Amino acid sequence: METGGFHGYRKLPNTTAGLKLSVSDMNMRQQVASSDHSAATGEENECTVREQDRFMPIANVIRIMRKILPPHAKISDDAKETIQECVSEYISFITGEANERCQREQRKTITAEDVLWAMSKLGFDDYIEPLTMYLHRYRELEGDRTSMRGEPLGKRTVEYATLGVATAFVPPPYHHHNGYFGAAMPMGTYVREAPPNTASSHHHHHHHHHHARGISNAHEPNARSI
Amino acid sequence: MRQAGAYSGLLCGGVSGRTGPHSLPLARIKKIMKNSGEGVKMISGEAPIIFSKACDLFIEELTRRSWIMAIQGKRRTLHKEDLASAVIATDIFDFLITLVSNSDSHAVGGATNVMEVETIDYS
Repeated sequence: METGGFHGYRKLPNTTAGLKLSVSDMNMRQQVASSDHSAATGEENECTVREQDRFMPIANVIRIMRKILPPHAKISDDAKETIQECVSEYISFITGEANERCQREQRKTITAEDVLWAMSKLGFDDYIEPLTMYLHRYRELEGDRTSMRGEPLGKRTVEYATLGVATAFVPPPYHHHNGYFGAAMPMGTYVREAPPNTASSHHHHHHHHHHARGISNAHEPNARSI
Repeated sequence: MRQAGAYSGLLCGGVSGRTGPHSLPLARIKKIMKNSGEGVKMISGEAPIIFSKACDLFIEELTRRSWIMAIQGKRRTLHKEDLASAVIATDIFDFLITLVSNSDSHAVGGATNVMEVETIDYS
């Protein structure tokens, strides 16, 4: 078991030298001293497991139960507590068997396959098929997720364009357009269409061509980048 | 435009927009696994995910069998005795007998003549 940690409760030492104790601290100290006398035997550093860490959250458990029960069914408090304990016992039972297998094979990490093997061995054969499908689906989603994360930027932008995101029309560098004389323009910027009475738009309006997919916002008078 | 992530719960069928795809918290499952024995050293990331679904199936099966016991007793409230009866009537739940019989030895003793519940197919 892990000792200490952020969530761990440590047993308080019996010595009170140099400590200013509040009333709650004194009460807690009395409870610890009265509950067990092992503090004097050098077990101060042991971390006691909190009650809420031993069991699954009751709301989640009840939500799963409600899926099965008819709407008019009620669940008593002792049944709620018992099923909470049963779930924790089930996890420990399967984990113990999976861990034994790991120790036999001299491995340190319990894998999903070890868990499935333990369930099969302990009689939960009906769970194997849905769990295996669930694991495959999870791995597929995880694979898609990592492949999306590792894609080059160019491929991603192409895919975003196919999703219907408006891509800005950037004129070729050899045409001067509204004062841009061949300057490299940042991606995603829109060029405002010049008024019809200016000479530049009169000469070069035939160079504008829309992309096949999606309508560009380049010719709107108040076009802005997204 | 931002899109929902693969595990945001919107694409994976979470109960609400706030909850994720897993109905039981993975961190809690991992803690229970760690506390199950001294020899448990490391746990892979997929093991709690499998357990989350397995516990889902386990709770469903135990609830279903317990509800059958409550119906046989002509009750609409699920009690601990119903859970105890379901545990005794099902072979794979033998590891729970000591747990359900701690305070209800009379309930467990009276539940030995309960008929076997049919097996449940999850496929």
